[in-house]
This record gives sequence, structure tokens and C-alpha cells, in this order.
Amino acid sequence: MRIGITVLSIISFVLSVAFITDYYKLEYAEYFPEPLYNFEKNPLTTEKVTLGQALFYDPILSEDNTISCSSCHSPYNAFAHTDHDLSHGIRDSIGTRNAPALFNLAWHESFMWDGAINHLDMQSLAPISHPGEMGETIKNVVEKLQYKAIYPPLFLKAFGDSTVTGEHVLKALAQFQLTLVSDGAKYDAVKRGEVTFSPQEANGYALFQKHCNSCHTEPLFTNGQFANNGLPVDTTLNDYGRWIITKKSEDSLLFKVPTLRNLSYTFPYMHDGRFRKIRHVLNHYTEGIHLTSTTAKQLKENLELTSNEKTDLVAFLLTLDDKNFVFDQKHQYPKAILN
Amino acid sequence: MRYIACHVFLLCVTYLSAQSSEFFINFQPTFEGEVVVYNEENRLEKDGDIQIETLKFYISNIELFNGDQLVFSEKDSYHLLDIESPESFSLDLNTPPKLSFTSIKFDVGVDSLTNVSGAFGGDLDPTNGMYWTWQSGYINFKLEGVATDCPARHNRFVYHIGGYEAPHRPLQTIELGIETDTEIAIEISMDKIFETINVAEQYHIMRPGEEALAFSKLFTSIFSISK
Ligand code: HEC
Ligand code: HEC
Repeated sequence: MRIGITVLSIISFVLSVAFITDYYKLEYAEYFPEPLYNFEKNPLTTEKVTLGQALFYDPILSEDNTISCSSCHSPYNAFAHTDHDLSHGIRDSIGTRNAPALFNLAWHESFMWDGAINHLDMQSLAPISHPGEMGETIKNVVEKLQYKAIYPPLFLKAFGDSTVTGEHVLKALAQFQLTLVSDGAKYDAVKRGEVTFSPQEANGYALFQKHCNSCHTEPLFTNGQFANNGLPVDTTLNDYGRWIITKKSEDSLLFKVPTLRNLSYTFPYMHDGRFRKIRHVLNHYTEGIHLTSTTAKQLKENLELTSNEKTDLVAFLLTLDDKNFVFDQKHQYPKAILN
Repeated sequence: MRYIACHVFLLCVTYLSAQSSEFFINFQPTFEGEVVVYNEENRLEKDGDIQIETLKFYISNIELFNGDQLVFSEKDSYHLLDIESPESFSLDLNTPPKLSFTSIKFDVGVDSLTNVSGAFGGDLDPTNGMYWTWQSGYINFKLEGVATDCPARHNRFVYHIGGYEAPHRPLQTIELGIETDTEIAIEISMDKIFETINVAEQYHIMRPGEEALAFSKLFTSIFSISK
């Protein structure tokens, strides 16, 4: 009797798994490292990604139903917020930091400029709850979604349960964001041996490897660590970065090293959006380094780059623009669901 | 079809697991020596200088020992106890039949691994209000209320104790000897907290750090088996 039941339960388990899952295969360049996100705990499926995409673009996540994730993370800006140095939330609140671009998140060790968030699943709680961003609570979001007709069926398809929960909202949002992979720039085509750099780009690449790669490490163009790259404090913001989280003096003014992919789409630059042009960033590294006890050792002195070298370096950085990613319809507003 | 399959599976699992006995634990917060009851005005029943409005905490990783030997450890052992839902203070463990044990061990809070492993449901769901939003991490223990001596706005004190990164890891393990194997009551003495914490001086703890760590050390003395 007992054996019979066990066998039956195993069969029905296998059946139920086979029916539910429509796995989504995450594609990325073969020279990318292994992702850090634990997909075993939240395996990608087409249904969950679709649900996450709807949530990402739906202003229902904000208190007054006016701001969605995409208000600050626009697909046409590689999911950053162009033109705004500081983020812009509900009732025209202005935040204290620049909205970063969102892609290759499966390779992030931590999130936010100061690493306040340790896991992509939990990241969405921050903007949802921030009074100046979406001003909501996850509890209310769950209730609102339960009563909006399109959602219970989407949750049912994705999680086999039409009851909306905080866990499922967060996991679906993470899933959509995990599918944002940028590996289709000219740099990548060169890596794959399909094209070659121009002499100018090649010279820029050499300069990049010499001066920048220790922090903005290939092929993701970030080492995922925190560093003080010599920016003087903006005294209207007094943002001490990583120190806010750890309260350790050696972390004062350290910010997470951002990726350099898609710079043409993600200006303005730095945690407070202080530079509008790549050229201004380079001028910072050659003339503007502000020395404090935590300034990175590679940047204790201004870098020496001639004007021509800067031009070459910019030419190389532009090979990291990934049009295929930025204009990929797949990641954009899900008209069919949200209309 | 898949839902039917799921249900058959669940039924089988329920059948197989129904073959165990149960061990009940009742947690009883006490204040001024009496068991506190949650009443309609959202307050713990007690007149006096301190009124507790929120008491919410995690009990996790429950284990039973016979002497030094581990005889039972609860699966997915995370319980949110909330004074606003008195039933959450009674836990039943699905122990195997005829199990003997002499002590119980549990943690107050949520372990570090769970803190860094993303979203969970049930008692760990972030809709329960026990997860910080501006910085990752569970709140292990929440105690809020009003005290005549508290100089804060509206005399409110707020203690949110949590953190998962060394050296400020306030997860505390409690170990208590027990004599029966069917039901126990565990007293949680609020008095012991207010004997040490002076609401007139320390009334806001809302982030991981030294203060939260020091507060959490009190947990090791507030739990005891009621006789
Ligand atoms: C009001 C503007 C705004 C809204 C709305 C917003 N964000 Fe952000 N987002 C930001 C800012 C600003 C940061 C950087 C914050 C910081 O570092 O403290 C950020 C950071 C992030 C990061 C971390 C990226 C990294 O590289 O560390 C992710 C992921 C993210 N947001 C996803 C989302 C999602 C998902 C939503 C919707 C639930 C959302 N954001 C809504 C402004 C916004
Ligand atoms: C010591 C590590 C380090 C080195 C070396 C370094 N950077 Fe950075 N870079 C950073 C950090 C950290 C930030 C973010 C700082 C902030 O916002 O406060 C940053 C920001 C940037 C940004 C802004 C990106 C954005 O999206 O906002 C650009 C562009 C940039 N660096 C280019 C370069 C170039 C080009 C070089 C080489 C000439 C270089 N960096 C060398 C650490 C470094």
C-alpha cells in the first residue's frame, strides 16, 4: 500500500513538473564568467519572465499609480534614466542618486551604488518603499495586484497559484531583469572574431587595459567591487557611499564600480550624475582627482593622457555600445498585456 | 491536468507525513509577572508607564535533543510570532512517534544564509513587514510601544533588531531543558528587557550595529520554561 502510494506520488510529481515548466534559457557570451545569481532557487521560465516584465512596466507598483520601474529605468537608455542627474519619483520628488543602467544583473554581487542590497530578488523592495520613488508598501502592491483583473491569471500561469504574494512579485521582477543581457556590442563582435577594431579603437583598447581595466574589468566592464575614484564630495548631497552601509572609515566615499557598457545611452555619469559627457569623465581622471585617505591606489595621481589618447579611448568606449540590446523589442513595454 | 497531478501529489505527501505525532510549544510573553493578552486597543493589557504595541519576532531552526544527541530538527523552521495574531504563539512540531528528548534549542531571528538568499514566502514573505527595504536583511525582533519616560515624539520607542553580517550578527540561540514530551510553555519576560534597556535613554534602534547586537544579548535571558 505504502509503496504504491509512493510510486504514484513520484509519478504525479514528475508529471506536474513536466507540465508546469517552460524553461527560459538565458543566453550570454561564452567568454562571460558564470552568473552569480542562483538560478536553482528561482529557475527562469517564460511565464515568470512575462509576468515580471508586466510588473516592471506597470505604474500600479507606486502609491499613486503614476511611476513604474521603467519611469526611471527606460529601455531606450539601457534601462538608465537619461537627462536626469538625480532620480525622479512620485509627486516630482527628486532623489539623491542617479538611476543606474540595468543589464547583466545576473553577474552582480550587490546592488545600489553603495551595495545596500545583497540580492536581486530583494532589490525591488527599495524603490517600491522609498517615499520619494514609488512611496508604496509591498503589502499594498500585493493587494492591488490581486484585484487587477490581468494579474491573478498571470500569477497562476507563472507560479501555479493565483494568490499574489510578496515572494512571487519579487521573484518575477528579478526574472525579467535577469533576462536583460548586453553582449552584442562591437567589442563583442571583435571578441568573437567577426570584425576587428579600427587602429584608433585598438589604441584606445590598449589605453583602457592599462588605466581602467583593474576596476572596469572585461568582459562585464566592472569588477563588482567598491572604489573611490577621486570624485570630490558634492556638499549638497554629502553622500559617503559604501560607508553609509558599513560605517567603516575605510569605506568612506567608495561607490560600486559601474559597467562601461552602453555609455552612449546612459548619461549622465557617476552616482550623482555629475558628468554629462564621456570626455568630462576622462578629464576628471586626468585633472580632477581629489585625494583623500580612501582614494584608490591606481588613482593617487592624475592619469596622464594626451588629447589624442583621450579621443582614442572614447572611440574604444563607444565600441561597448550595444544597439541590439537597447532596441531589442523583446524587453520593451509589453503592449499585449498592459495595453 | 497539471493541477490534478499536483493535488494527487500533495495528498500523497500529506498521507505519508500524517503518520507522526505532535509536540506543542506555547510561547507566553509576560509583563510585570503576568501573561500578556492582546486587547482591542492594540495594546498589551497593562496599566503603567510602559505599553507595548508591537511585539513581532522570528523563532527559527528548532531542534530537540536527548542529552547531547540531536533527535529532531524541524524542516523549513521559520516562525513569525506576532502579538496581533495570538495563534502564531503556538507552534506544533511534527515529531516522530515515541520520541524522547530533554532539551530544545532555537534561534531568535533569521540565519545569515537566508538573509542573503533572495525572496522567500510564508512567514518569511516581505509583506510581513519584517524585512528592511533600504538595506537588505530581516528584522529578527520588533518591539514598539509608548512609555511615559520616553523623550521621543509621542513617547514612542522603536526597537528593530536585525543584521546578518559579522561582527554585528544579533542572531541568538536559546537552549532550554524540558521535562515533558507533549506540550511546553515558554515564557518570554518583557520585564527583563526593560530592566536593562532604559527607555528614557535608548528608544530607537532601527539598523544593524553595536546597539542592536547588545540588545539581542538580552534574548538569552528572557526565555524560560514556565512551570
Ligand atoms: C524614482 C526612480 C526609480 C524608480 C521608480 C525605480 N528605480 Fe531602480 N534605481 C533608482 C536609483 C536612483 C537607483 C540607485 C540607488 C542607489 O544606489 O541608492 C536604482 C537602482 C536600481 C537597481 C540596482 C542596479 C545596480 O547596478 O546596482 C536595480 C536592479 C533597480 N534599481 C531596479 C528597479 C526596479 C525593479 C524598479 C521597480 C520596482 C525600480 N528600480 C524603480 C531609481 C529608481
Ligand atoms: C580604482 C578603480 C577605477 C579605475 C582605475 C577607473 N575607474 Fe571609472 N569608476 C570607478 C568608480 C568607483 C566609479 C563610480 C564612481 C561614483 O559614481 O562615485 C567609476 C565611474 C566611471 C564612469 C561613469 C560610469 C557611469 O555609468 O556612471 C566612467 C565612464 C568611468 N568610470 C570610466 C573610466 C575610465 C575610462 C577609466 C580609465 C581611464 C576608469 N574609469 C578608471 C572606478 C574606477
